[in-house]
Amino acid sequence: MAVYSVRRILWESYPILVVAAFISLSAGLILDSQIESIKAIPLILWMIIPLNGINNNVCSILGSRLTSALHMGTVAKFRGDKVLGRNMRATWLMSFGVFWFTSGIFFGVSLIAGMDVFRALLLMFAFFAASMVAIAVTMFCTIALAFISFRKGLDPDNVVIPVVTSIGDVVGVLCLIIAVKLIMGV
Amino acid sequence: MPRSVVNVKAVVMQGLAVLVICAIIEIIAGNFLEKLKESLTVTIPVLIVMIPPLLALRGNINGALASRLGTALHTGVIEAKISFSGELKTNLTASLILSFLASATIGILSAVVGALVGKTVNFASILGIAIIAGMVSGIILAVLTVVIAVTSFRKGWDPDNITAPLMATIGDLVTMVSIFLVVIVGA
Repeated sequence: MAVYSVRRILWESYPILVVAAFISLSAGLILDSQIESIKAIPLILWMIIPLNGINNNVCSILGSRLTSALHMGTVAKFRGDKVLGRNMRATWLMSFGVFWFTSGIFFGVSLIAGMDVFRALLLMFAFFAASMVAIAVTMFCTIALAFISFRKGLDPDNVVIPVVTSIGDVVGVLCLIIAVKLIMGV
Repeated sequence: MPRSVVNVKAVVMQGLAVLVICAIIEIIAGNFLEKLKESLTVTIPVLIVMIPPLLALRGNINGALASRLGTALHTGVIEAKISFSGELKTNLTASLILSFLASATIGILSAVVGALVGKTVNFASILGIAIIAGMVSGIILAVLTVVIAVTSFRKGWDPDNITAPLMATIGDLVTMVSIFLVVIVGA
């Protein structure tokens, strides 16, 4: 008897992929509506993939750690929980480190692209601010979804991660566009 | 045994090393998107709308494939050598069919939504880019996923902290390069 069947994998995965696609599509629509800002600062395009990619990685790691901890019974409730608190602190510290690194690289990229030092610094700050806000919001969604999926018995790998990463896409695009608009004035 | 269940310092140090490598790969992927700025902002309307869903799709399909393979390896359903056995074949076939169906769905959705918000949409080129880029990256990544899942199982890498982020990141790069090539060759 085969363990896996093509039909079953398709049947279980396709609906959630379409839901995730719909959510990510709104991130695309937000980008499309801001095409003038992107023309003014094309580096936005370059920044959006690392911002969303890292945000998704960090929150997927947190999501898997939390769902594993929930299944082993080391995390039980939302408030005053040490394991949850430590996981959140670890996630926060990792994001802080990796986004400083990425922001530094974008400072260099902006200079090479011919931006003056002051504007390159502003853009670097906009990227860093956007990523920190995006991480905070997506982290909150991850924790909430991990608990909800555990209570409702949804599969963490097939449901929580796709939905979290798609929400992360929308949050990341929104934060980057707002930060660049506010700080760079385009 | 460590005193606490979660050792913040160990998690952060291991996680940071992986994330910095991922960040470098993501920055290279981002550069390909920036190179497409003419197509994205001027020549191919609506293309930008489907970039986030196409990237997300890759991560989702291969993330699920990697975690199914990881489970299968740990339970002995699939052996830790690269051979095209029955269960592996089923998993790969399912992932490729999913890639095709979901890429086409994203192409159609993007074109329809684009038309609804009043863009002039070249339906054929949007659908073509979605399906061809989706399938090219899907095939490359299916192979890479199997290789990485087996390698990480053999080397004992943590599937949550190392394999999953690495897969998602390589997925972004391969998908971005595929979209880039399809747009450049098609134009």
